Amino acid sequence: MKKNSLKTGPDDLGYYGEGEKAMGGMAVGETLMPALHELNDGFEDAIKDKDFLDEFAYYCKHYIGRPSPLYFAENLTKKLGGAKILFKQEHLNHTGSHKITNSLFQILLAKRMGKSHLICESGAGQHYSATAAVAAKFNMPLVGVMGDIDVARVNQNIIKAKHYGAKLKTVPGTLKEAITDAIKTWTTNPEYAYICGSVVSSSPFPKIVAFAQSIIGREIREQSMSQEGKIPDMICGCVGGGSNFAGAIYEFLDEPSVTKIGVEAHETAALTNGTPGIMQGMKTYMLQTDDGAKSLGGMSLGAGITYFSVGPLHSYLKDQGAVKYSSATDKEMLEAYKIIAQTEGICSALEPMAAAAEIIFRQAKDKPKDYIICLSLCGRGEKDLDTIQEHIGKDFE
Amino acid sequence: MSERLKKIFESSNPKTKLVSYFVGCYPDYKTCLELIKEAIDNGVSIIECGYPTSEASAEGPVIKKAHDKVLENGDTIKDIIKLVSEIRNYNNDVGIVMMGYIANLYKYPITKFVSDINKAGADACLVVDAPHELKEENILREELNKTGLSLIKLVAPTTDDNRLQDIVKLSSGFLYQVNVSGVTGVKSANQTDVESFVKRIQNLTKIPICSGFGIKSPEDAIKIAKTGCQGVIVGSAFVKYIQDNLTDKDLPLNLGKYIKSFTKELN
Repeated sequence: MKKNSLKTGPDDLGYYGEGEKAMGGMAVGETLMPALHELNDGFEDAIKDKDFLDEFAYYCKHYIGRPSPLYFAENLTKKLGGAKILFKQEHLNHTGSHKITNSLFQILLAKRMGKSHLICESGAGQHYSATAAVAAKFNMPLVGVMGDIDVARVNQNIIKAKHYGAKLKTVPGTLKEAITDAIKTWTTNPEYAYICGSVVSSSPFPKIVAFAQSIIGREIREQSMSQEGKIPDMICGCVGGGSNFAGAIYEFLDEPSVTKIGVEAHETAALTNGTPGIMQGMKTYMLQTDDGAKSLGGMSLGAGITYFSVGPLHSYLKDQGAVKYSSATDKEMLEAYKIIAQTEGICSALEPMAAAAEIIFRQAKDKPKDYIICLSLCGRGEKDLDTIQEHIGKDFE
Repeated sequence: MSERLKKIFESSNPKTKLVSYFVGCYPDYKTCLELIKEAIDNGVSIIECGYPTSEASAEGPVIKKAHDKVLENGDTIKDIIKLVSEIRNYNNDVGIVMMGYIANLYKYPITKFVSDINKAGADACLVVDAPHELKEENILREELNKTGLSLIKLVAPTTDDNRLQDIVKLSSGFLYQVNVSGVTGVKSANQTDVESFVKRIQNLTKIPICSGFGIKSPEDAIKIAKTGCQGVIVGSAFVKYIQDNLTDKDLPLNLGKYIKSFTKELN
């Protein structure tokens, strides 16, 4: 990698960037520090092992069904009358989202490191059901932690995970509370492997999850080159912690000609409305009280992007001016869902509709026809059908 | 390095120091001050004054509930520092350690925090989620050193000897030995495990060791005191006592009696 590459970070201590503006790091209790160093060593060792990477690639293809298609959304493109829109169809992966690639990678890593038990957190339940599936496949017991508000609204993922044999611990709240409790559960069982679902938390998780998900961007390059004869002009994805978007753009970080836009939920737009702080193991932009005592942020219909903070890689990329970040409201997400369902026959999860809203309402229309926008469709909508019915069900009658 | 903490551990009376954790401003500012005064009058050598954060990652249900209450009341770290200055006015010998998470200190910011707690009369600071790998820990340690205060470091059962050596070098005042892997107030400490851990630390350093987590009764405290550590730390048990007796008009007095049941066994 080049010296001035945006892909060189983080450093040994988990920092993206240098000096006071560095993001990331390791802000956890002493009990977990040895486990985090062990994980970092295990990861650095594993990615030099060709057999390990071959095994990951094998299951990516045969278990997950990768590569996910890069699909020309012709009807949507015609409807908007501007840029050519491609969907990176991550929702077609086994278990219905991008999450499974990371779960697979980390569970193979845990297995290689001799771990026998797994912990994970989840917001939308996509990471929980994905991790539960892989845990079942490799015969490892899993405890997932979720907020009770999310458990109630994404019930399908809970049922699936139960069928795969995973246990669920419910805490009051949403993804934020689930992450804090998952760290407590891990502190109580530091010999377990914590399968972190996004590019968040203490180092080395942001690095590991970005590594696993970066397959998305490599596929985009290859598919776009072979189908379109060029790479996309713009890549857009939703951001909660930010793993699907990090995965989609990582490949292109050193190519400023590719415009990158990450879209958060309006109610928890840490990169638009937040300030740097240190909570949940990392220094990053977040919504909190001025004195740093309390995390803030409201509720979005997208459970997976209802997160007051964001992965430190994104904070770094924002500060570098390398990536743009915006936000979308519930109303915009629902409207985008309706348009994509009706034009393309795709029932998407609500989270990626934040990114779709950015494309549909703010980006695509004024672009020329040969301008290619790649939208990461990172999850399928079954989990959200009750919510969607409740809010805009009558629009379809 | 805090002179006051040094003096506390040089003294042979009491033989084993009782370090007690309070959530600052819990259940409210005034009551908390009365509770801590009683604790001092009943033989506590060092007060750990906790400041709350909503995403505290090492607290069990008892202390979390107290944190949430303080946040709900709207009391801030500044109120807690004011409380510390009142404690210092009341007693000049007791050790006072500010204890909490890096979230609040980063925003304070750190340099001003150290200057303010120094003015208030605190002796040290302990930050649960600030290992020496964290840049902000380095800044905090340097500021505390410059000011003549101590940074209390934690060591856990998972800390191996190499890491222990690194941490010991950075510690001052005393070393906080975490007895069990877990959150506060849940698991119980095992005397044999604590004893071998204390020995492991003493092979490397002469710094005083205070042993905490899983000490729930005077009987537990006696057992842990026998392991060779210089102090025992009780947190959740006292916070739970307060939590369970919030309607007691004589809560400070009765907490004092409860604390006495620990300290009288440690002399």
